Amino acid sequence: MSEGVLNERFEQFLERRIPPSSSITLSQSNVFIFPTKTGFVFGFFIALLIIGAINYQASLVFGLAFLLGAMLMVTILYTFRNLSGLRLELAESRPGFVGEDVQFSVRVVRPSGRGREGVQLGWPGSIRQWAELADKEADVVRLYVRGSHRGWLDPGRLLIETYYPLGLLRAWTWVDLNARALVYPKPIFENLPRFTSGRRDEGVLVDPLGSDDFTDIKAYTRGDPIKHVIWRSYARSDGRDLQVKRFTSYQEPRLWLRFDDVQGDTEARLQRLTGMALRATREDREFGLELPAMNVRLQPGIGEAHLETVLRELALYGR
Amino acid sequence: MAAEDRAGIGSQIPRNALALLMVAQAAVVLPHAMQLSPWIIIVCFVCGCWRTLVYQGRWDFPSRIIKAALVVSGSIGVILSSSNGFSLEAFVSLLVLAFAFKLVEMKSRRDAYVVIFLAYFVVATEFLFEQGLFVALYEFLAVIIVTAAMVGLNQMHTRVRPMASVRLATSLLLQALPLTVVLFLFFPRVMPLWNVPVPGNNAIGLQEEVSPGDLAELTQSDSVAFRVVFDDGTPVLYKQLYWRGVVYNVLEDGRWKAGDVPPGQPRIRMGASRQLGYEVLLEPTAQNWLYGLAVPAQLDARAKLTPDLRMLTRDPILSVFRYRMASAPGADFGVRLTEPEAQHETYIPEDSRNPRMDGYARKLYLSNPDTERFAEALLSRIRSQPYHYTLNPPALPRSGYIDSFWFDTQSGFCSHYASAFVYAMRSVGIPARMVGGYLGGELNPLSGHLVVRQYDAHAWAEVWVKGKGWRRYDPTGAVAPERVEQGLAAALSSQDRQSLSALTNARMGDTSMLGRMLYMFDSVEHNWNMFVVGFDGGVQEKFLSRWLGELTPARVGLVMLALGALCLALTALLLFFRRRPKSRDPVVRAYRRFVARASRLGFAQEPGETPGAFVARVGESVGVEPDQVQALTTSLEEALYNPEARPKTAHELSRGLRRLSVRLTFAAH
Repeated sequence: MSEGVLNERFEQFLERRIPPSSSITLSQSNVFIFPTKTGFVFGFFIALLIIGAINYQASLVFGLAFLLGAMLMVTILYTFRNLSGLRLELAESRPGFVGEDVQFSVRVVRPSGRGREGVQLGWPGSIRQWAELADKEADVVRLYVRGSHRGWLDPGRLLIETYYPLGLLRAWTWVDLNARALVYPKPIFENLPRFTSGRRDEGVLVDPLGSDDFTDIKAYTRGDPIKHVIWRSYARSDGRDLQVKRFTSYQEPRLWLRFDDVQGDTEARLQRLTGMALRATREDREFGLELPAMNVRLQPGIGEAHLETVLRELALYGR
Repeated sequence: MAAEDRAGIGSQIPRNALALLMVAQAAVVLPHAMQLSPWIIIVCFVCGCWRTLVYQGRWDFPSRIIKAALVVSGSIGVILSSSNGFSLEAFVSLLVLAFAFKLVEMKSRRDAYVVIFLAYFVVATEFLFEQGLFVALYEFLAVIIVTAAMVGLNQMHTRVRPMASVRLATSLLLQALPLTVVLFLFFPRVMPLWNVPVPGNNAIGLQEEVSPGDLAELTQSDSVAFRVVFDDGTPVLYKQLYWRGVVYNVLEDGRWKAGDVPPGQPRIRMGASRQLGYEVLLEPTAQNWLYGLAVPAQLDARAKLTPDLRMLTRDPILSVFRYRMASAPGADFGVRLTEPEAQHETYIPEDSRNPRMDGYARKLYLSNPDTERFAEALLSRIRSQPYHYTLNPPALPRSGYIDSFWFDTQSGFCSHYASAFVYAMRSVGIPARMVGGYLGGELNPLSGHLVVRQYDAHAWAEVWVKGKGWRRYDPTGAVAPERVEQGLAAALSSQDRQSLSALTNARMGDTSMLGRMLYMFDSVEHNWNMFVVGFDGGVQEKFLSRWLGELTPARVGLVMLALGALCLALTALLLFFRRRPKSRDPVVRAYRRFVARASRLGFAQEPGETPGAFVARVGESVGVEPDQVQALTTSLEEALYNPEARPKTAHELSRGLRRLSVRLTFAAH
């Protein structure tokens, strides 16, 4: 049987045994327990003591070996008790960008009374965090997962484990808190198309002394740019009549981020659009999003909430 | 534990654990100070200080070169200071050194676990030297500290409460005790699998050789030689209790020695004498003979009875040795003596001759030509002449000391009298030998056993009488009858008594408060030896078959499993169903009862609801008059939050709440 099949079987077993739920209380039905490597060494060490006791016929060496063995048995109860009764809830999951750590907050609540120590949490393959439950009844543990690709990130089952009190046994469980978080495309900020490219009819004046559109001619006043002076008319009027051309810059007030307007393959385009959306929000611009292939047309808007809607569409493009 | 290592902090040793490990090191090494060379203890101390300095950042971890140098020089040191090759002491020295060095160099949690396991091992080796009750209690405390260090290793680094770890370790170990007892009683005790190096000789007691001054030294010691439990009460006659151990039948260079075991079988004529059955718990002697009353009639299978009635074991006695035997005090032995035996037991080498004694004995024998009469004549000389019994006799010359004792100084200890007596016998050709052992013992009135201590050590003579065999003669009885009839303390002058160890009943007498306490300690220690240290395969079999009947492996295993599971289940009950602490306030108790009852009937207190609001809601819903509800809630809030009002309203309030819950019950049905 290959490892993949075994893993699948184990997943199925867990699915039956500990079904996904946003809040799970640990009990004997969902906590596993097994000796650690140190625990096995300890067991071997006890066997050594017993052999020594037999050879020396020393009752108290027997006694010591049995005491340590009995302690190992009692530790099973202690280690299990350390997890038993803990309630786990998903407190919050924050979206992130590809390549960054996505944050999940898990709330661990213990029953009132005895404090718990050495409770560790972590997603598979990530760093374990300790829950501080010795003096507090609840702790929020922030766990991070590297967002590897855009879309929904399912961190998998959460591992809760403890080696407390002796490190000879490990009690653990895998719970599925239905945790998922959005991972946005990794933004590209380089070589974005300029935003100052709107047309006069639908733009707003953003710079009366811009350089895009010719507006009219007016008499020179001090301070006008020299390069806008109409030297030909100045020469024609023999230096009496100094006139300048007036240009203005217009910008489309409602910026449209269009999938078709940006360069590159699908992912690159999404990354650019992400970059543009971020920049527009930073510059306090109103912007809309058009993803024709997906029939998505988000009316222009502004602010963090709008940005989140846009990024969500970008993250879930084609998913 | 790859996952643990990845956790970064997981591989460091928390401060808490480090502090506890340092204490644990001191605790487990300390008792070894008795057995190991002092330099090893000093090395341990230095290593402890070194680690402390490393922790404080004032010194560095040892470099690889220093580590290698330490290990090599330590091993060489052990080899040099061990006198007899690879002994147990050498092994323990190496273990303790490894433990100390590992403590200095440990950095990771894995190292810390190695140190912890070594610490448990050091505790175990201490039990090879000493298994007394106090040592066991001490080591239990040491095990608690070592375990607490292990707890500390699994706590958060921010936790610096060593006492909390110690408390946890204590309850862990105390809760493990019942299961330990089950394992101790039921785990099969098998015979040794192979031979092991044994602890060196630091036991005191009678030796293979004796020169006259030796026994006097033993009387300075109050340590227990052995304890005896008689099958049916202790014989009251003190002077019957001659505990025979070693037979000194070779005179060599002025000293008496235990000769080689003569060939042949013991020749015992039982006659009609009564047998006395008893069990002995012999403390370690590092010798291979057992003690018992003459004449051994039944003997433990692990010992062999020689023709001169020594009881020899195959190996030296290194831990408490428990054996059963029966003696027939009236039996005769060695009635017919073979010629080689007669020669052997009359031999006096030329360099050990005492000419004045020879002449005196020959003359005395001429006028008393019968063995028994001759012996009587010798004893009556001791009685009539100014002989003294003392623990501090004047110094005697090395050669011819029997002459100077018998004729000049005339004061000595039991071995002086016995050796002079035996010498006189042999010099006229009567087979005689000296016997070493103990005389008497102290009856512990609490548990009824007899304690024989080192200061009861005694030497007497055995003389072969034609037609009767070997007969015991105790010349000490002639000079100090009190010694033979009442014990050492009675026979000594007050000056001599001062030299006895202070804390013995011989010194204290039985009546004082302290004397009774000494008996109690002795009782406890005796029971410890009987039921713990002396619990071997034989005792186990007897014990288990009394409870279980026929012993089959399946039956023993099942009972062990069942009892073990029971112990664990009880511990689990203790751990998981600890009752919520009862409040001492009657109002709070009454309110809690009310809440519990109401919730059973379907009225749960809402999370944000105050007690008053809850009671009001319940009261209204079962149709209590509004003003009654009002009165109840007011007095409840008063009682809960106004400390001064409590005593007055408590009783009334409890009744109100009880009435309300009765109403609730009726309303619900």
